[in-house]
Amino acid sequence: MANQRVLPQSKETLLQNYNKRLKDDIKSIMDNFTEIIKTAKIEDETQVSRPTQAEQDHYEMHVRAANIVRAGESLMKLVSDLKQFLILNDFPSVNDAISLQNQQLRSLQDECDKKLTSLRDEIAIDLYELEEEYYSSSYSQWDSTDLPLCEAYRRRDSWASRDSSGSSAQDDREDADGTPSQETNPQLHLNGHGTASVEKP
Amino acid sequence: MANERLRLLEEVEKDIAMVLQCAGTIVLELSKDKHNASFLDRQLAQFQTSINRIESELSAQIRYLTQVATGQPHEGSTYSARKDCQMALNRAEYAKVKLGELGRTCEATLEQQQQQQQQT
Repeated sequence: MANQRVLPQSKETLLQNYNKRLKDDIKSIMDNFTEIIKTAKIEDETQVSRPTQAEQDHYEMHVRAANIVRAGESLMKLVSDLKQFLILNDFPSVNDAISLQNQQLRSLQDECDKKLTSLRDEIAIDLYELEEEYYSSSYSQWDSTDLPLCEAYRRRDSWASRDSSGSSAQDDREDADGTPSQETNPQLHLNGHGTASVEKP
Repeated sequence: MANERLRLLEEVEKDIAMVLQCAGTIVLELSKDKHNASFLDRQLAQFQTSINRIESELSAQIRYLTQVATGQPHEGSTYSARKDCQMALNRAEYAKVKLGELGRTCEATLEQQQQQQQQT
C-alpha cells in the first residue's frame, strides 16, 4: 500500500465525501431496482383490493424509478467533480502535460528559427552577388565609410593574406568612382548589415 | 496519462447511462404479457456488469487521488515556452512582410523599366 500522506483537512474531507456519495448512489440504484422487480410480482389479493394495490404499486414504482434516475444523475455529477479534481490536483499528469507542451513549443520555435537562419544565409549570398554587380557598375555611389559587402570581404581577404605573408596589400579595386581614401575598420557598418559571419560564395 | 484517466471517467459516464437504459429495458420487458427470458438474462447481466464497473472504477480513481493530491496549487506554466514560440512566429511574420515589400519594390522597378523601354 502506498504511504499514507497527511492531506489537508479540506481535501481529505472532500475525498471522503466522494466515497460516501459513490456508495450511497450505487446502493440507491440497486435497492430501488430490486424493489421494483419485487413489486412487479403479482400476488394474491389480500385485505386491499386489487385495483387499490395496483394503484399503490404503480405509485411506488414511479417513486423508485425517480430515485434510480436521481441516483444516476448524482453519479454523473460525482464523475464531473472527479474530473475537475483530477485536472487540478493530479500533479504527475499535469507535469507531464506541461513538459509535453513545452517540448512541442520549443521544437516549433527551433524549426522556425532554423528556417529563418537558412533564409538569411541564402539572401546574404544573393546580396553579395548583387552588391558586387552594382558597385562595380557605373551607377554605384559609395564612400569609404559605407562599404558594400563584397568590398568588405575583399579587404578582409587582403588583410588576411597580408598578415599571413607579410607582403603589401592589394591596392587595385574595381570601383569606378575612385578608391577609398583611407583604410577602414573591418567592423564598420556595412550598408545596414552587421559583420556577422556570412558565407562568401 | 491525464488523458487516459479522463478517458476512463468518460467510459464510466457511458456505463451510468447503460445502467439506466438496462433498468428501463428490463422493466419494459417485464410489463409485457410474454417475457423473453434470455433477453431478460442478458440485460440483467449487462446491468450488473455496468454497476460493478462503475463502482470499481470510481473507487480506484478516488484511491489514486487520495495518494496523489497535496492540497497545494500547481504552479507550473508553459508561459515562457509559449512566449518564445510566439516571438519566433513574429520574427517569421516580420521577415515575410519585409520580403513582400522587397518583392513589390522589385516588380514596380521592373514595370517602370519596361514602360521606359516601350516609350523608346
